Amino acid sequence: MALWGFYARNLDEVLHLVGQHLYLVTVSTALAIVLGLPLGVLLTRRPAWRTPVLGLANVLQTIPSLALFGFLIPLPFIGGIGATTAIVALVVYALLPIVRNTYTGIAAVDPAVREAARGMGMTDWQLLTQVELPLGGAVILAGVRVATVVSVGTATIAAAIGAGGLGVYIFRGVAVVDDTLILAGALPAALMALAADGLFGLAERRFTWRAG
Amino acid sequence: MTQPLEVDGLGYVLADRGAGAAGRGRVIVQDVSFAVGPGETLVLLGRSGSGKTTILKLINRLLEPTAGTVRVAGERTAELPVTRLRRRIGYVIQEVGLFPHFTVARNVGLVPRLEEWDEIRIAARVRELLTLVGLNPDSFATRYPHELSGGQRQRVGVARALAAGPPLLLLDEPFGALDPITRVELQREFQALQRRLGQAMVFVTHDVREGLLLGTRIGVMHAGRLVFVGTPEQFRASEHPECRAFLEAA
Amino acid sequence: MAGRVIHGPALGWFAGAWRWLVTAPLLLLACCQHRDRIIVGSKNFTESDLLGEIVAQQIERRTGLRAERRFHLGGTFVCHQAITSGQIDLYVEYTGTAYTAVLKLPLLKEPDSLRRTVATEYARRFDLVWGTPFGFNNSFAILVRRADAERHGLRRISQLASLAPRWHAGFGYEFLERADGFPGLARLYGLRFAAPPTAMDLGLTYRALADGKVDVIAGNSTDGQVAALGLVALDDDRGYFPPYQAAPVVRARTLAAHPTLGAVLNELGGRISDTEMRRLNALADVEHRDIATVARTWLADHVP
Repeated sequence: MALWGFYARNLDEVLHLVGQHLYLVTVSTALAIVLGLPLGVLLTRRPAWRTPVLGLANVLQTIPSLALFGFLIPLPFIGGIGATTAIVALVVYALLPIVRNTYTGIAAVDPAVREAARGMGMTDWQLLTQVELPLGGAVILAGVRVATVVSVGTATIAAAIGAGGLGVYIFRGVAVVDDTLILAGALPAALMALAADGLFGLAERRFTWRAG
Repeated sequence: MTQPLEVDGLGYVLADRGAGAAGRGRVIVQDVSFAVGPGETLVLLGRSGSGKTTILKLINRLLEPTAGTVRVAGERTAELPVTRLRRRIGYVIQEVGLFPHFTVARNVGLVPRLEEWDEIRIAARVRELLTLVGLNPDSFATRYPHELSGGQRQRVGVARALAAGPPLLLLDEPFGALDPITRVELQREFQALQRRLGQAMVFVTHDVREGLLLGTRIGVMHAGRLVFVGTPEQFRASEHPECRAFLEAA
Repeated sequence: MAGRVIHGPALGWFAGAWRWLVTAPLLLLACCQHRDRIIVGSKNFTESDLLGEIVAQQIERRTGLRAERRFHLGGTFVCHQAITSGQIDLYVEYTGTAYTAVLKLPLLKEPDSLRRTVATEYARRFDLVWGTPFGFNNSFAILVRRADAERHGLRRISQLASLAPRWHAGFGYEFLERADGFPGLARLYGLRFAAPPTAMDLGLTYRALADGKVDVIAGNSTDGQVAALGLVALDDDRGYFPPYQAAPVVRARTLAAHPTLGAVLNELGGRISDTEMRRLNALADVEHRDIATVARTWLADHVP
């Protein structure tokens, strides 16, 4: 098939773009976890913040990706064309699933377990790290999984602003109406999304506990 | 010798949301005073909403008293860091609240581990306590809570509460969620445990028979006040309407 | 209908009939409508939109037809696909682009023979007719910042060869893919940049150059932003780029259905010089004037 021939001829470039794509997705997801996990935990400690914070994340989520890229470009530091802007936008999109799932995962912990833990003298940090995060782990990881899979897709649009990645093939293919090129970019991206979905799914299983 | 527990003028008012500084709120507990001596079991009897569970939570500061003082082993609880206080008080609740992701052994060893005992000491203590509550350590230590029956879980709950050898044990209707047969079984074993350990404890229940069986003294809560404290014999002979109501219902 | 399930052939007939019932009126509607409207397309940059709007308004004011606009479609190839499949009736194309990118013929320099070849081949291969060119030449312009041009005395593209290894280039997707685009340019002028050029949406390349994110881009010689952003166009001294004359391209079938259309479009021929196109582009891109207004004003002033 024409596609395999294309890959064979352009292996270096393909690997380079796959690498760029992975870079965009992993950096943005990691940042989203670093920002989103503590924020989700905070929401369990300050219930009054829940509606405004989740509401804001929800609104950000609805901004069409190309539009968000457009908004960010003129900004200093985080803007301009290239990977930085793309990563900022990807972080924005990854926040909602991570924050919301962290909140629901922890909130779903059996209140009796929480009461017993506090009653026996666990500090808030010990409660969080030894009880709430392990017990909520599956739901939290599901949020990370969703965020990652969405990122793989959104990262293809990053090519419009010069951030590279598999979207480069897709945009080139669209510009010259070449299906092979489009597929050359879309296929690895789809495989990447599937792989992320599968891997996180496995990880979730390790955090699934039978109800006491 | 210091009393394991001294409660003096304890009060708890739930702040009303629009009350302001004048603090017109709902009175849950009012002017409660009692003491528990070494080896004593004080049973707190009362209807739902009488404030008996609240008393327990005021002792281990899951709720902060709005009036009065509490002393555990001579120290004022208000002056102790709250986690330190709670590790010195065993706490058993009706739903048990075992950690589903910990084995039985890890559940029991929770407080010793928080207190950073060494592993060998913890392991030995876990074995000792499991045996004490009637569970064979060799078969139960590595099991998970979901593999246990309700009765077995509560036994683990009691073992967990006793693990660090606290001067005081608080139990909030520990057998309330169990079927009648298991409940009776556990009550009898608990009685044996009491004799062996000589542990000071406050035992909350709404079951008169359980209270008369297990208590060295009975306290009756009604509408947030402690309306009666005395031995089981004194309770049986009491003229107080609340005591009579309980006895008649038994 | 409760409890009754339609089985096998009966279901097939029912579904088929229903489908026909729904689509037939729509098809009928579309057919009829298509006859008294012209669909005008354009590529995804300002000049193409401007010319498309001028053409659309010209059609509306000179004939009784309605011009439906499908602007900013995509690049050359998307528009070509659209017109050959009948989804649009006409759009403005450039002779050089048609020659090298669509027809994929080897380079021809002379503008008139180029145009004649393009017209002949388009008629033969695609049943498309070329109108009279508007009168300007919009070539690719290799652009650098004025400060860099002054520092290195840059005037010609051939001077880039020595600087390229230390510079970064940024291009739109179409320029990267086209035969008359980057690959051929790099070969002819021996340009080897520090890294493969950054690919991005064409519109962003100007900002990228002005912001210093890249050092050289391929803009258009009639773009309005060149002066405004302090950019300098380098001379194509080795003559890489063919002439690019803009002219309307129409489906032969559309012309046959509307006999006056050809003359109406050709009335616009030769009316826009390079300078004039640049002025119009600047109105839209730099002063952010509404394209429809710019087109209307221009038509009122120049094609009364």
